[in-house]
Amino acid sequence: MTSIGTGYDLANSIFSPDGRNFQVEYAVKAVENGGTSIGIRCKEGVVLAVEKIITSKLLKPNANKRIATVDRHLGIVYSGMIPDGRHFVDRARDEARAWRDTFKTPIATADLASRMGGYMQAYTLYQSVRPFGITAIIGGFDPSTDLPVDGEVGRGPSCGAGGKVPGKTFGGPGLYMIEPSGLYWGYYGAATGKGRQAAKAELEKLDLAGPGGESLTLEQAVKEAARIIYVAHDDNKDKDFELEMTWISGPDGPTKGLHQEVPRALREEAERLAKKALESDDEDEDGKMEE
Amino acid sequence: MFRNNYDNDSVTFSPQGRIFQVEYAAEAVKQGSVVVGIASKTHVALVAIKRNAEELSSYQKKLFPIDEHVGIAIAGLTSDARVLSNFMKQQCLAHRLTYGRSMPVRTLVDMIGSKAQINTQHYGKRPYGVGLLVAGVDDHGPHLFEFQPSGMTEEMVAFAIGARSQMARTYLEKNLDKFADCDREELIRHGLKALKESLVQDRELTVDNTSVGVAGADKAGVVEPFKVYDGQEVSAWIESVADDKEAAPAGGSGEGETMEVDS
Amino acid sequence: MDHRPQAWGRPRDDVYGPYDASYLHNNQPKTATQSPIVTGTSVIAIKFKDGVVMAADNLASYGSLARFTDVKRLRPFLSTSVVGFGGDVSDMQFLDRHLNELAIDEAYEAEGCSAGGLGSSAQEPDASPGASKGQLNAANLHKYLTKLMYRRRNSFDPLWNQILVAGFDSASAPFLASVDLRGTAFTSPSLATGYGAMLAQPIMRKYAATEEDAAKLTRDDAVRVVRECMKVLFYRDARSLDRFSLAVVTRDGVDISEDEVLEQQSWAFAERIRGYGTQTV
Repeated sequence: MTSIGTGYDLANSIFSPDGRNFQVEYAVKAVENGGTSIGIRCKEGVVLAVEKIITSKLLKPNANKRIATVDRHLGIVYSGMIPDGRHFVDRARDEARAWRDTFKTPIATADLASRMGGYMQAYTLYQSVRPFGITAIIGGFDPSTDLPVDGEVGRGPSCGAGGKVPGKTFGGPGLYMIEPSGLYWGYYGAATGKGRQAAKAELEKLDLAGPGGESLTLEQAVKEAARIIYVAHDDNKDKDFELEMTWISGPDGPTKGLHQEVPRALREEAERLAKKALESDDEDEDGKMEE
Repeated sequence: MFRNNYDNDSVTFSPQGRIFQVEYAAEAVKQGSVVVGIASKTHVALVAIKRNAEELSSYQKKLFPIDEHVGIAIAGLTSDARVLSNFMKQQCLAHRLTYGRSMPVRTLVDMIGSKAQINTQHYGKRPYGVGLLVAGVDDHGPHLFEFQPSGMTEEMVAFAIGARSQMARTYLEKNLDKFADCDREELIRHGLKALKESLVQDRELTVDNTSVGVAGADKAGVVEPFKVYDGQEVSAWIESVADDKEAAPAGGSGEGETMEVDS
Repeated sequence: MDHRPQAWGRPRDDVYGPYDASYLHNNQPKTATQSPIVTGTSVIAIKFKDGVVMAADNLASYGSLARFTDVKRLRPFLSTSVVGFGGDVSDMQFLDRHLNELAIDEAYEAEGCSAGGLGSSAQEPDASPGASKGQLNAANLHKYLTKLMYRRRNSFDPLWNQILVAGFDSASAPFLASVDLRGTAFTSPSLATGYGAMLAQPIMRKYAATEEDAAKLTRDDAVRVVRECMKVLFYRDARSLDRFSLAVVTRDGVDISEDEVLEQQSWAFAERIRGYGTQTV
């Protein structure tokens, strides 16, 4: 367990003698209590998924969406305190809008992650505010060819925008996870929330950084994401949950570069397979127990 | 109840990652009298118990129309509710004047959610001490939303907030499957029955202490504007649920004893 | 000594003189748009039974120079409406970006909503994104643009355009309206901006004089009428081009083709003109 702050943990931005900001660490605890969310990046695109714990039977099914779109091509999912997550998404949308106003082109995933990391970090600097109680996963697919400039009236020169370095690849899928301290990394597979340990273990098995990620298709990634959420849900077994999944493909893929919810048919198929996998796991475990 | 170092302001996390000020604000909601909301495929209804400070004083209104298509029910600090409802009214009106259409209910609710969340993250501000049930109708049909002081907003099929609202919620959970197909009258009756579950043992629904608000939209898109009914206008509904109770076969013990002593 | 809070940190008036705020005052004349520079010419549109047809040529003129010949002046909005711009092209670009942002914001709203409120099956997310209910329709968009244009006019900084908005209104009836740089807004079964109002409207009104007539017009007839009007405009409008864009808005969505060319032009009438040139009267 973390040591007791004893006096250095009452206010944000205060360093303890061993150089820690306890309020940020407590914020991380808030994240750990939330439903699991994961992101998977494969060559064809990005899949985001979240385990929405059903806190009341009176909730309207499928009505409360957690995964948010930023601009048209980026998605954000978060675990932890949901109102903080919405604040985060609002700011991300403002950043995307400001980028578009200045550069007349949609923001790239890495740039949004950088902006949002800075924003989260700013809330760790002052006593007058508190850190965000969320960890956010940002996914997007940056186009590799030039997009038309916003407000472009003509077709422009036929040679294109120019300025390209030969042999350098542009664009592609991007997945970033930002913690309450503002720290973020790029990931092939990211998980946060209550079931993150189980989810991380499953993601590592997929070997997304190596040949596993090369061969994974977007549809397979969707099915894996559902399966991993179901596995991670075991940690929260007493409560029911709703699975929400979104995906972003390249311009040639099923979503045409847009961030969209996974179509219901595919999601239901993925859930069916996930439940089956879980049952067969249980049977294996029971088999082992009997030995 | 709780007494610790971490509950002085909303910018302090406790070691377990909780923000006590926000949780205390939710307690303020539980002090208000109960309000119930239910949505069906065509209508959304809000019903409320009004309290009076003394025998001879007036009863505190609980239901407020925001725009033609939206109304709210409040539980908690009335003055905080006023701030939020004024904001909602302005937003709805501005939207209507700019775009010539009624504001989508979810957008409106998201706005107050964001507004309330800011109050939970900055020093010197305190969370709003009121919970709302927002009932509205738009192009997607009727909606019911719950708003909490933490800024959390969720769409519900039915819900109840306020004192002893857990009893009402239990009733609503039991009858959840019936609501979607209810017509206007049945919906209101269910709401009143849920309300009765939360009453103190010797209290009853009267024309003075009961409020009903309804909005509707049928398949043709015709909208029934949100309207609040008080006083004699609700007497017919009150009687209809009183009769039902007496006419019901004596499954359990006598009618009066079905009310549990409130904790 | 003045110890009041408003004097904290301020130099004393009796020592340094009163505060000089003249740096805040701008004495230059206002230099907002007084005249358009790069302009697009007319936009024409006509309602028909199932929607609206709109056309605009692909030319941006720099005064009398036909400068840019592949300019897209018809813009879709949320894939349910079409906006056609005549007038200053830079203001058109500004409005296009602004409406793009509005469309993105609307999409945020739509994704948060459940589409199954009235018991209909939940909408598949891979259906055309703009076609969902509850998003801004053409009537809402037109009202919004009217407010915007009027507001700019009141600040003596107009967006120098005349805009046609085509699509459907909340009753799912075909909608067509105009709004201009002054914020004047009106609707009609057929509309045109610029020279089109003089040359094309009489032709379109032969076919769609009233709403009832417009409701009888078929899509092919409406497209034929619009093409004819574009030809007339090319003959007579000195700042026009024979390449144009044509948009058809129906309940199924927006169909814009940007490479239309006027066919079977006959310039024989030019030799019959008397009044200038090589007239021999």
